[in-house]
Amino acid sequence: MNSAGKKTLFYLAITFIAFAVIIPMMYLINISISSAIEVNDFPKRVLPVLSHDLSIEWDDESSYYIISRKSFSGEYEELTYSSKFDKIETYLITYLNISKTEEEIEEDFIVARNTGDIIYLNYNKDIFNNFGKFFKVFDGASAALVNSIQAAAITILLSMSIGGSIGYALARTKIKGKDAISLGSLVVRMFPAVSISVPMAVLLVKFGMYDTMLGLAIIYSIPNIGLTAWITRSIFMSVNPEFEEASLVFGASKIQTFKKITFPLVLPAFAASSMYAFITAWNDTAVSLLLTNNNETLALLIYKSMGGSASIHYAASGAILLILPALAFTFLLKNYINKMWG
Amino acid sequence: MEKNKKGTVKSVFKSPYMFLVPALLFYTFFWLLPVSLSLIESFTSIDGGFSLENFKMMFDDPLFGEAFRNTLIFAVISLFLQFIFALMFALLINRNFKGSKWFLFIMLIPMAIPPSAVGILWNTGLVESGWINSLLSVTGLQNLIELLGIAEGPIIWKEASGLQAVFMIILIDTWTVLPSVMIILLAGLQNFNEEYSEAARIFGANRFQALKDIVIPIIKPTIITALLLRIISGLQVWLISVMIFGFNNVPFLLERIVFYTDQVRLGVYSYKLSVTYSVFVVAVVSITAYIFIKLTKGKDWSGTSE
Repeated sequence: MNSAGKKTLFYLAITFIAFAVIIPMMYLINISISSAIEVNDFPKRVLPVLSHDLSIEWDDESSYYIISRKSFSGEYEELTYSSKFDKIETYLITYLNISKTEEEIEEDFIVARNTGDIIYLNYNKDIFNNFGKFFKVFDGASAALVNSIQAAAITILLSMSIGGSIGYALARTKIKGKDAISLGSLVVRMFPAVSISVPMAVLLVKFGMYDTMLGLAIIYSIPNIGLTAWITRSIFMSVNPEFEEASLVFGASKIQTFKKITFPLVLPAFAASSMYAFITAWNDTAVSLLLTNNNETLALLIYKSMGGSASIHYAASGAILLILPALAFTFLLKNYINKMWG
Repeated sequence: MEKNKKGTVKSVFKSPYMFLVPALLFYTFFWLLPVSLSLIESFTSIDGGFSLENFKMMFDDPLFGEAFRNTLIFAVISLFLQFIFALMFALLINRNFKGSKWFLFIMLIPMAIPPSAVGILWNTGLVESGWINSLLSVTGLQNLIELLGIAEGPIIWKEASGLQAVFMIILIDTWTVLPSVMIILLAGLQNFNEEYSEAARIFGANRFQALKDIVIPIIKPTIITALLLRIISGLQVWLISVMIFGFNNVPFLLERIVFYTDQVRLGVYSYKLSVTYSVFVVAVVSITAYIFIKLTKGKDWSGTSE
């Protein structure tokens, strides 16, 4: 095979692999903005459907409007009929995600009545409708969002303070047993979180922390403290202690030195480990399933939303909401990892 | 508290070991305590004496055998698949072709999706009028499937059971975690000096030999870390199984723990069962990790001993 042919084949393979990732995501995005009617469509469309093609016909005998929608095959299928514009308004938003006022609808539809012809309209979908609906359909979704953020924040605090001090001790002091500490942090990371959560439930009830975000954050911190220690250790080792000594020699206090010299230099490491901590807390389902009762996290709520298939499009929009912050942090982290190793 | 040379209270607080005190307290209360509690719980009967009846109860669980088998099959096969594909993609991206940055960006997306969102994503695909059957129908593959007699009409994915269902979960898991294995291997490859494998090829090795004898042995430590982390989390599969097939249909060890904690309320018995399962999972994870480390030590990946 010549080199141009090889190159084409290579890029074909690459495109195929990339599509294996993109296509499922595209479908998920499209389902997350789907209206109640589209959920039952088959086949599903891969490209986002942002508008509906409708046809409006005035039935003179029964004196109502017949509303039809263009289907995948290109034919118009009858959806409903009505003569009342307020009913049509409700129908459009409920079943088609089209938000139009009564007046706008009347203005468009009246043409069909006046001329007696079938008229064709292209109405844009309100793509944020499902996201709003998600918070209405699932009780406590907004509380769950707040809970998730809270749990993540506490996890970050615990991991940074406890893990950061281990990292500092490992890098800067002459303590004994450094190998034992490294091994210990590996062992606790390898321990399944679910296995800890079962006996932990009993303990948390005793401590009065069952069903609280602090309780969850404690479990999330178990692997993250070790990880933070490992990341901060390497960064504390890379900061030259002579900078700090120079600052002290020139008369700065210890606190000033930390604020002006050490802290800015170690900030990226702390940012990276906070992102790890955030992702652990944000993504978890298992631990919050076992250790909460009423105070769900967002990921747990999404897990439970699987029940009713009638609301799968709302669950999908909830899933998109859950994905966005995790996606952002993962890519920020990736840049950091590249800097560290590349 | 550590003994200090001077022995005064003030110098104890200035000791560098003070940095470790918070961690020590944290892990004593929130790790050692629950771990030892579950060990004790699993080996004591309801009335408090030492007994093995909890383990007997666990082995008597009609789904224990299948859960154990599924977990092991899942961990081993997904590890194998993920390693092969991750290495392949990492080598592709490492070639720095035009657009490799974009390719990497796209390939990393699944890593960022929280597990419960992965569950939703594949659920919307696996239902009968879902996007997987849509894709088959639009691309014409559905006709091929019917022509070959694999299925009549749209495939009902959610009715899969036994090993078929386990393989479906393996594929979904592979789709999800491939990037995290790939990124570790890629970091290893980027530290690897390209000149080594060039030298090997100048001396007549073909591309595969250079990969097998030069590249893989050099990035071996990276590979071991990536695979160890993978097999440990592979043993902890449950969420996708429950979100797609529901409880009890495709059992896994962790699925049993969640089932007995969250779904059944047998009072003290369900607690005993989930604790015993937890201890069992920890034992399986530790033994697997131990075997894995033993197997990879002193042996290189091409199969010849060092």
